[in-house]
Amino acid sequence: MSSLEQRLQALGRELAFPPEPHLDATAPAARPFPWRWVALAAAVIALVAAFSVPSARTSILRFFHIQGATVERVETLPPAQERSNAGGLGRRVSVREAERLLGFRLLLPPLDAEPAVHLLDGVLATVILRVDGRPVLLSEYAARDYGLLKKSVGEKTLVEPVRVAGQPGLWVEGPPHTLTYFSSSGEFREKTVKIHGNVLLWTRGPVTVRLEGRISKRQALRLAGQVR
Amino acid sequence: MVVDRPLDEAELVERARRGDLEAWETIVRTYQGIAFRTAYLLAGNAADAEEAAQDGFVKAHRALGRFRRGAALKPWLLRIVANEARNRRRSAGRRERLALRAAAESRPGDAVPSPEAALLAREDQERLLAAVERLPDGHRDAIACRYFLELSEEETAAALGVRPGTVKSRLARALAHLREHLEDEA
Repeated sequence: MSSLEQRLQALGRELAFPPEPHLDATAPAARPFPWRWVALAAAVIALVAAFSVPSARTSILRFFHIQGATVERVETLPPAQERSNAGGLGRRVSVREAERLLGFRLLLPPLDAEPAVHLLDGVLATVILRVDGRPVLLSEYAARDYGLLKKSVGEKTLVEPVRVAGQPGLWVEGPPHTLTYFSSSGEFREKTVKIHGNVLLWTRGPVTVRLEGRISKRQALRLAGQVR
Repeated sequence: MVVDRPLDEAELVERARRGDLEAWETIVRTYQGIAFRTAYLLAGNAADAEEAAQDGFVKAHRALGRFRRGAALKPWLLRIVANEARNRRRSAGRRERLALRAAAESRPGDAVPSPEAALLAREDQERLLAAVERLPDGHRDAIACRYFLELSEEETAAALGVRPGTVKSRLARALAHLREHLEDEA
């Protein structure tokens, strides 16, 4: 090795690298769904729950329009693609940094230590929790950050109104549903994706909160009750 | 008496391939440092590097079934992570300047030079680093992987997505540029 090569090697040992992050080894199991689309879908259903009257909910779910969003219950779902690998959770930040960027206080259950927050596009925050050893995602975003177009729910998907800490919520369980949407910037982006898994979502002020994973309704409601 | 022995890499890969998350976590912990530093040098900033490393490991886990048995794991992982990092650099179009560690951050066991010698050495390193930063991207990346990260030529080739012969020629040209530049400054 020449003198210059030795100097370059020595230089490399003196470089100021950023602190090494602790990568999430459970991410392969914990990232099975396109979170952005799930969040958008959740927002549509949450709006339906929040603005509809109980007696009319079933018919409203067949066709509902609010703030640019339409929800349809259809006999046959439109062709949809499976999730994309690109649908990550976003970069890891501290709770404080996430709250600064989001502009609201994160709602969290009691935890032993401060969790890492994954932030997608600066608007969707996700924390990975564990329920009976299984990863469950707690995601939060302000409804103002997404514009919505159309959500399609199949006949077999259960959409059940629930209450979480006195707030309206929905339990979504069953076969995949699909979503096509407008971005919040007004740019048209048509994308129809399949969404799998069970979802509990509810609203708290301007924030939509959702839990998602392979959990039962009872487990989800118990955990949601601890999120404050 | 039965003594637990550390699993070798091939065993870890086999277990991870069969869905053993603990084995996969061991692999991630083993390589996350070099993967992150590689991504940092190629992507040019910490946030993109962390995302590239995380996404790279996710993709690697999903692609384990296609990993050739008996092949070296490190270059395979680095190729995936580095590809994520390069994509992010292309989309971001900017790169933070590399910097030296603060002078006070001497490593345990380092000999302590005189203040004058330390100052001269640091100036020398700053000059060399600036010269590396001025190289064309392909040359700069080859120097960063081969010398800053101390990867082998094969690993450098994997990280950069080029043939080993291309790495050799890029390194030769980059070193020649650096010598020329440093002589001009002297």
